[in-house]
Amino acid sequence: MEKVGSTSPGWYDGFRGRDVISARDFSREDYEALFRYADLYEEDPGFYRGLLKDCIAALVFVEPSTRTFHSFETAARILGCGVTAIRDPSMSSIAKGESLHDTIKMIESYGASIIILRHPARGAALYAAEISRVPVINAGDGSREHPTQAMLDLYTIARKRGGIDGLRIAFLGDLRFSRTVSSLSYALSSFKDIEIFYIAPPILQIRREVKIYLDDRGVEYKEIIDMDKAREILRSVDVLYVTRLQKERFPDPSEYEKLKGAYTVGPEILSIMRSDAGIMHPLPRVDELSPELDSKPNAWYFDQARWGLNVRVALLSLILR
Amino acid sequence: MEEHLLVRKIDMGTVIDHIPPWRASDVLKLLDLEGLRRSDISLVILHNVPSKKYGRKDIIKLYRHFISNEEADLVCLVFPTSTINYIKDWRVEKYKPKIPERIIGRIKCPEVTCITNNPRENIRTRFRVLSKYRIVQCEYCDTIVELERIADLVGKKSE
Repeated sequence: MEKVGSTSPGWYDGFRGRDVISARDFSREDYEALFRYADLYEEDPGFYRGLLKDCIAALVFVEPSTRTFHSFETAARILGCGVTAIRDPSMSSIAKGESLHDTIKMIESYGASIIILRHPARGAALYAAEISRVPVINAGDGSREHPTQAMLDLYTIARKRGGIDGLRIAFLGDLRFSRTVSSLSYALSSFKDIEIFYIAPPILQIRREVKIYLDDRGVEYKEIIDMDKAREILRSVDVLYVTRLQKERFPDPSEYEKLKGAYTVGPEILSIMRSDAGIMHPLPRVDELSPELDSKPNAWYFDQARWGLNVRVALLSLILR
Repeated sequence: MEEHLLVRKIDMGTVIDHIPPWRASDVLKLLDLEGLRRSDISLVILHNVPSKKYGRKDIIKLYRHFISNEEADLVCLVFPTSTINYIKDWRVEKYKPKIPERIIGRIKCPEVTCITNNPRENIRTRFRVLSKYRIVQCEYCDTIVELERIADLVGKKSE
């Protein structure tokens, strides 16, 4: 891999000044450049320290978050940015009925260099980007997308596996309402020979818009409903990506209770998977991922969360420096 | 033709022909109805008249009113058998429809959590047309709408 920093002839320009709204907006070249800069965070941490000391990062989180908020905030502080945050909407004018339009305008007028937005409405990030003169990063817009999660997911896969091409990945759980699954599916379509298996009951299967996008890009995918068939597939995948089954999505609570067991990943599932396969999860987890897996080398999810910082340091730098 | 017994030819206006039978009311929804109501035009709807090509069809005649090209394109997108004729001094000009890339500010997104449905925001909806799949897709929230459903979603027309 080409290295950046003191030995590099110059910065990669593909992200400069850009919004990050959808994982569809970025190319393979963009993703691979991002990975190189994310590596650099560990190879030469001093490289990033104070790099953006004249910038202000505004974090507007109108929905709960742990990892995304803290990793963006930490990344901004490492880079020397000033940080301003709306964390609890009940403590801001949003609770008084202020529109997103006015919130964005106001934050921009106070000198924000970049706005990092999490919002429950689908499409909120695109709307904010249309209003804002400074770049907007989508940190999750309802069930639509979470592109920076896809970036750190890809980075984790590339780092653990040595590359993305030829990946066989199974997604398990609530795929219909998962923004991380849609974003990662979009991002994977920039790579070669990807095979995706969506394992979920019909009511939680992957959304049609994702399937259409994959069809148009010629990506192989299958929807798997039968759990016996799913077990067959899990024997050969490189990655099992687990998401939380959301109880509130089930019209009949007994249906949830019935499915919960079948969608829990524990040592028994791990035993049928390849020894070098990885298990990923965007976290938080509830019951779907057994803590017994945590100490196994196949449990990639804590590295995945940790490396979110590398990716976000790199991303902010590439957009703002 | 049976239609000639029901209504005479017009010398000025728009004729929307070859509409699938009993769907003329959906075509009307695709037009700027508010604009029509404010004007002094006359409008005739023919339901289920015989058609050599399709067996049965609906026809709309708008006397002294020319629908916009944008409206004509939308009607032909949703009902591809439809033909639009502009009549000027008895002369018939057949309109060649174009497939629009986008539908802007005309239809409401059916996804309740879409930002365009937030009453605090004043957002013009934008749908990209994926004619291969006979769908449109909300550019804000990605929700897919079948072309056949569009008529029921007309009405969000900001600005």
